[in-house]
Amino acid sequence: MTKKHPDVRFHCQKGGRCCLRKVPCPDDAMPLSKACCRGRVRICRIRGDRKTCARMAHLGLLPGSELELICPGRGNKCMVRVNGGTISLDRPVAEGILVTPA
Amino acid sequence: MSTHLNIALAGNPNAGKTTLFNHLTGAHQHVGNYPGVTVEKKVGICQHGDHEIHVVDLPGTYSLTAYSVEELVARDFLVNEKPDVVVDIVDASNLERNLYLTTQFMELGIPLVIALNMMDVAESRGISIDTERLAGLLGVPVVPIIARSGEGVDRLLDTVVQEAAVGRRPDPILLRYGSDLDEAIAAMVPIIEEHHLLTDTYPSRWIALKILENDEQIIDKASQVNPGVSERLLAISEEVTNHLMHTLDAYPEAVIADHRYGFIKSILHQGVITIRFVGDRLYTSDRIDRIVTHRLLGPLIMAAVLFGLYTFTFNYSGTLVDGLATLFATMGDMVDRSLPDGPLKSMIISGAIDGVGGVLGFVPIIMFMFFGIAVLEDSGYLARVAFMMDRIFHFFGLHGSSVMPFIISGGIAGGCAVPGVMATRTLRSPKERMATMLTVPFMNCGAKLPVLTLIIGAFFSTHQARYMFLATLASWVIALLAAKILRLTVLRGESTPFVMELPPYRFPTIRGLVIHTWERTWQYIKKAGTVILGISILLWAMMTYPGLPRDQLAGFAAERAQLLAASPPQVVAAMKKGSDDPAALRLAAAIRKIDARQAMAGLRNSAAGRIGVALESVSHFAGFDWRTNIALVGGFAAKEVIISTLGTAYSLGDVTTDKTTSLRQRLAADPHWNPVVALSVLTFIMFYAPCFVTIVCIAREAGSWKWAFFSMGFNTLFAFTLSVAIYQIGMLLGLGG
Ligand SMILES: Nc1nc2c(ncn2[C@@H]2O[C@H](COP(=O)(O)OP(=O)(O)OP(=O)(O)O)[C@@H](O)[C@H]2O)c(=O)[nH]1
Ligand SMILES: [Mg+2]
Repeated sequence: MTKKHPDVRFHCQKGGRCCLRKVPCPDDAMPLSKACCRGRVRICRIRGDRKTCARMAHLGLLPGSELELICPGRGNKCMVRVNGGTISLDRPVAEGILVTPA
Repeated sequence: MSTHLNIALAGNPNAGKTTLFNHLTGAHQHVGNYPGVTVEKKVGICQHGDHEIHVVDLPGTYSLTAYSVEELVARDFLVNEKPDVVVDIVDASNLERNLYLTTQFMELGIPLVIALNMMDVAESRGISIDTERLAGLLGVPVVPIIARSGEGVDRLLDTVVQEAAVGRRPDPILLRYGSDLDEAIAAMVPIIEEHHLLTDTYPSRWIALKILENDEQIIDKASQVNPGVSERLLAISEEVTNHLMHTLDAYPEAVIADHRYGFIKSILHQGVITIRFVGDRLYTSDRIDRIVTHRLLGPLIMAAVLFGLYTFTFNYSGTLVDGLATLFATMGDMVDRSLPDGPLKSMIISGAIDGVGGVLGFVPIIMFMFFGIAVLEDSGYLARVAFMMDRIFHFFGLHGSSVMPFIISGGIAGGCAVPGVMATRTLRSPKERMATMLTVPFMNCGAKLPVLTLIIGAFFSTHQARYMFLATLASWVIALLAAKILRLTVLRGESTPFVMELPPYRFPTIRGLVIHTWERTWQYIKKAGTVILGISILLWAMMTYPGLPRDQLAGFAAERAQLLAASPPQVVAAMKKGSDDPAALRLAAAIRKIDARQAMAGLRNSAAGRIGVALESVSHFAGFDWRTNIALVGGFAAKEVIISTLGTAYSLGDVTTDKTTSLRQRLAADPHWNPVVALSVLTFIMFYAPCFVTIVCIAREAGSWKWAFFSMGFNTLFAFTLSVAIYQIGMLLGLGG
């Protein structure tokens, strides 16, 4: 997985996370892929390459947004409800989103 | 006073733009319940009072920063063509996200009217919206509508006409994006204005914003026009980007997006939205999703649904298909009896009736299939299929967004690769897009369906549904393998992450389904009556001319005369009268044999026959005889003609009296054919070069003929290799019977 999305890891390992550190990310924050099915969560940090980040931002996936998780795939797949719309994400993307319980 | 207006329909994907467009213009453009249906702008006209309104339907976008081809189409139209009014279709049940694009229209300063669509959905979810207040706060007229039923559309048009009459281009709104970015913009705007950098096309502030947002297209344009100034602007942008990365750990896009959402929230919180249902009530949609996309249940349900569709299609269309086949056979008979022998008769029967009839005969299957697909599509289930397939596609180097182009091309059976190739526009990565474009022609399009049905029926089973299901699975496996090969060789590159919106489940409307099914079926019928008719006649000519040389004709005539002379006169007389005396019948059969030999010799000598024979030196490795070759070559023009060409090629050498013997029976009885040959031919037909129209479309979408020729060569070679393997191994194992 990591090999296919080198950008994700690369940035993150270097500490260059790319979406908005507006909300504090406490220690119990976990990747969205592990958070299934915890109901409502809040994004505290997003890691990913610049384009993916921008696209997610346009869709309303930003630090601070509240999500509702609909997880049929136990983390293989993630479906989140944000602003009344449902968005599906693949695993590498879901791994790059850190959330805390809302 | 009559006036002329240009309006554009823009908005998020799946917001109902095309539904409104169809309602306004009476068009039947494709509507579907998944994002990214429309990938090309469509134009239509509607009359409202004295006003003639030219309407343009655009592909949906989430933002004005373009990431994929179809998003570029929308943005370029909006900023370059400058329509009089842009109607922003906003999904009322998903207001926050939809208004995000609205804020960007407002930043761009284009004349805007908001059509608040899907009011019925919002209503059913207990969302009520104070449209007056929303309009007041945004400073843009807002009209609630239900595009499906047309409610509110008149008022929308009134408002549009009013706005156009005012004729002002609103000033771009000034959103704040935080002090750092605001300062950067303040520094960039004077530079842009001083040098008039792209300012005749875009507002200066917007250019600054796009440079900060790292919009490649705008940056490229600016660098071309004035490299020096662009350098300076990019330097400012880089500086603030670095600063933001340090302080906020974020790129400017994210900060800008955050402020836009902040702006929207601040508006919505001023009493615009009231939600009647409290608590975290799950929408029905989510409940269904929990089951339908379940890790284990999901794929099972998917298989069951698709298999159900096949069974439905083949079981219920069977009698209709047989009925039509008999109808066309009877027509052929009638022509046969009423016209004198000669080229005209031969052209009408072999060229027109067989060619067109062979295609039209399958209309019931196509129609049933399209109906089923329309149900899946309009309900929103197909988007879930894409979601579930993403991981598999990812593994083979494609993308979740490749699933839809596959399905459109015939992934469920009965599509067309041309719209399938167009649909790849939703893919953002050029390499994934190319790989998808080159593999969608492997799907079983509506034109291949008849051939597959026929060969399966003749050699494998009467359980066509089951075998067609297998054939479909095979086409997916092969397409994915081919994609993997391409992605490991000529199209190497990393894959892009998958982030896709899933539409809510909706009840399909009967009207929608009927229009859907009929539109696509009609396309199929129309093609049969025009293009296929033309190609069939051309092929007929190629299979008829040049005729046999005179000496050979004379030879056959002499043989016949000899036979008649050698028979007792009373037998000859009885045969001419058509009596069923055994001796007379025997004589008639002998004569027919000579006729058949002559016809075969004629076909062999014709232009098409010579091509077929020439190819036999290669094709025999895969077990194709020269007559099959003729059909396969014809299939380059359009796959539909394979069946009629086979029909003609095999009826010529036929010695039975019964003119209504179906091609299926003929093939089954032909000594050249056996199950191994059938499988080999079937495989070749499924995977060889795309038809001519698809090739042209690939060339256009890929932007070069190189890829179009590549797909011809690659697919044919690939298919031939498979066929040779099947034929050789099959014969070795003695399965040829
Ligand atoms: N309930 C309801 N459904 C609607 C309404 N308008 C459109 N739809 C449905 O919404 C879905 C999307 O409609 P489209 O017109 O294809 O949407 P679009 O905006 O053209 O989508 P793209 O071409 O993908 O950008 C279809 O299933 C429509 O039947 C409406 O007013 N009410
Ligand atoms: Mg559309």
